[in-house]
Amino acid sequence: MRAVLRALAGPAGALVLAFVLAAVAMLIAGVSPLDGFGALFQGSLGGRRPIAETLVQTTALLFPALGVSLAFRAGLFNIGAEGQLLIGGLLAGAVGAHFAGPGWLVIPLLLLLGMVGGGIWGGIAGWLRARFNASEIISTLMLNFIALSLAGYLVAGPLKSPLASGAETAPLLTNGWLPAFPTLGSLSFGDTRLTISILIAIATAMVLSFVFTRTVFGYELRAAGEAPEAARRSGINMQRMTLIALALSGAVAGLGGAAIVTGVLHRFNTQLSPGYGYTAIAVALVGDLNPLWVCVAAFGFGILEAGGLAMQANAGVPKDAIHVIEGLIVLVLAARRYFATRATGAPV
Amino acid sequence: MHQHFELVGRLRVWQNIMLGREPRKGMLVDVDRARSRVAELAERNGLAIDPDALVEELPIGVQQRVELMRELEREPSVLLLDEPTAALAPAEIATLFATVVQLAKRGTAILVVTHKLQEVIDYTNRVSVMRHGKIVARYLTTQTSTDEIARAMVGGELPQVAQRETTGTQRCLSVRDLTAGTDTTTVSDLSFEVSAGEIVGIAGVEGNGQTALADAIAGMIPYTGAIELDGSAEALKRRENVGIVPQDRHHEGLVLNWSIVENAILGRQNLPGIRKGALTDWNAARVDAEAIIERFDVRAASPDVPVRTLSGGNQQKLLVGRALLGDPRFVLAYQPTRGIDVGAAALVQSRLIEARNRGCAILLISFELDEILALADRVLVMFRGKITGSFSGAEIDRGKIGRLMAGIT
Repeated sequence: MRAVLRALAGPAGALVLAFVLAAVAMLIAGVSPLDGFGALFQGSLGGRRPIAETLVQTTALLFPALGVSLAFRAGLFNIGAEGQLLIGGLLAGAVGAHFAGPGWLVIPLLLLLGMVGGGIWGGIAGWLRARFNASEIISTLMLNFIALSLAGYLVAGPLKSPLASGAETAPLLTNGWLPAFPTLGSLSFGDTRLTISILIAIATAMVLSFVFTRTVFGYELRAAGEAPEAARRSGINMQRMTLIALALSGAVAGLGGAAIVTGVLHRFNTQLSPGYGYTAIAVALVGDLNPLWVCVAAFGFGILEAGGLAMQANAGVPKDAIHVIEGLIVLVLAARRYFATRATGAPV
Repeated sequence: MHQHFELVGRLRVWQNIMLGREPRKGMLVDVDRARSRVAELAERNGLAIDPDALVEELPIGVQQRVELMRELEREPSVLLLDEPTAALAPAEIATLFATVVQLAKRGTAILVVTHKLQEVIDYTNRVSVMRHGKIVARYLTTQTSTDEIARAMVGGELPQVAQRETTGTQRCLSVRDLTAGTDTTTVSDLSFEVSAGEIVGIAGVEGNGQTALADAIAGMIPYTGAIELDGSAEALKRRENVGIVPQDRHHEGLVLNWSIVENAILGRQNLPGIRKGALTDWNAARVDAEAIIERFDVRAASPDVPVRTLSGGNQQKLLVGRALLGDPRFVLAYQPTRGIDVGAAALVQSRLIEARNRGCAILLISFELDEILALADRVLVMFRGKITGSFSGAEIDRGKIGRLMAGIT
């Protein structure tokens, strides 16, 4: 119980403080915070469609946030979830546009391809770190730009659909589409963008949580992150762990890319992500790198992402204000960690 | 003066001594004045030193002298020394204290923090004993003894260290022609054996290759030559029936944010009793943690508290307890009682001797000659990466060993 309260106190406190600061900002901008937040929550939680859209955003953030969490737990700063998401989506979209078959075969295959794509992209950074001790912070970030340029080139050239006006792959055949979210009683989501990918994302979080707490691999991964020298001396092959952790981290983010392609866009283009991979870092940190709390954090950020548009339309608060709130949450959280470290001499 | 040297290795002796207080000539450092100031200090205090030597190239004992001179340059009326002899050989200790005693006679107040009781008796005027952050006893040095001070440190009678029993002589660990390590901390052409039921102590001043030896045995660095356990190099790599107490408990031995249970299986996570398929058997881990807590008297609110919250002595007991779990064939103990109180140290030493009595082969590396003499059946002296002497049984001679440690033959 105390542990639950403590876990809540941190992120929840940060959230409240961030909203207070955001309210101050709105007042300065001449908008009533009540109107602003009213529109925000109306647009994200006020009804079936807004909720569905919030969950779509939650899912898009959850996969890369879980990937980031995995790497962070291993002590590796993977800030390349954006690129891993793109490459995962690219591979799924490129194959999905041409691959016909029964849905039970096509969908898992495309999701698997997403993991392979993201896994390779994360694995490159892992290999560079393991082999040459190249900082994964730099390499994952740089690989984001490479991924964006590579994907942009491919969808404008070799992979461009002859039928599409913009730069994108040919659409997936419908048997590659993820099924809509199941009907709950009288609640049907058939006419929304919500699919079962949210369930896949939550299942992924549960699997990761199990891996961290129950498996020897998870134990070794956490040891590598918490105390690298002690981990090395306990017989863990640190190079191998670095490679595997970054590849797995990329695979989870890449799975998210494939989930967006098969669930939302039904094709690949470079507008797949408005920066989910970067916001995911904040989501992972707010969720304390604990997969289950990351789910909660992703929902919170999903509300902001989905509600932001409504806020802009209905209250005249620019959508960028959402990013200010997100930034404030991270800032407050970072400050809290800093003060906790100063107070006890121990990082929280 | 700090326990761990605060020197800039790539700077010269005079630069280190004058650091932050350099005499100036306009915008420039007045090198001549600085160097003559250092020479004057050296002469006045009877400390032989070359002001232009690079600090990183100096032996530890001389580096200590640089540390001391840097403090003396301030003309202090009070001088605080924190464990000043931690890295020194017996002869260097005598030289250091000769200077310190001279300073005291000339009117400097000197406070020495040390855990070496013999130094207290030999060189001080008054003693205060600290326990749990409080001063618990004060003595005039002339009216007390190491025994009395030790009792005050523990707060009661010293625990009896276990008796050693006769054991077999079956060879267990063998090291042949071992060469390992980089630059200043290498070992070369090292050969020795440790038998089952024997404690072999490596005596030597810190920085004479002990770390390279320990790391090679633990498989942490590449080496040439052979290290075998019961005739097999593989057995050591698998870590089955092997216990290792690393030198630095905070960085090398424990995950401070983890609980005792999680730490109890670190390094053992892949052994059959702990690993079940892909999963960790947390029940077995808890049983192990409770066994360590009980046998080593680890004081903790519960096995689930983070080890960060334990005292250094309890952390060290956990570390040694983990290494001795499951009656290993061989234990490498590197400074097993480092920085812990007398009571905890006696317990750790007892458990090591008990393990020896059960037939465990123990390689003890320690910078405390007293600890080596108390525990070892056989003493090997290490100096500059080589074994320069071997003593067993009645041949063990404190004076000879001390001279070999300082490189005097």
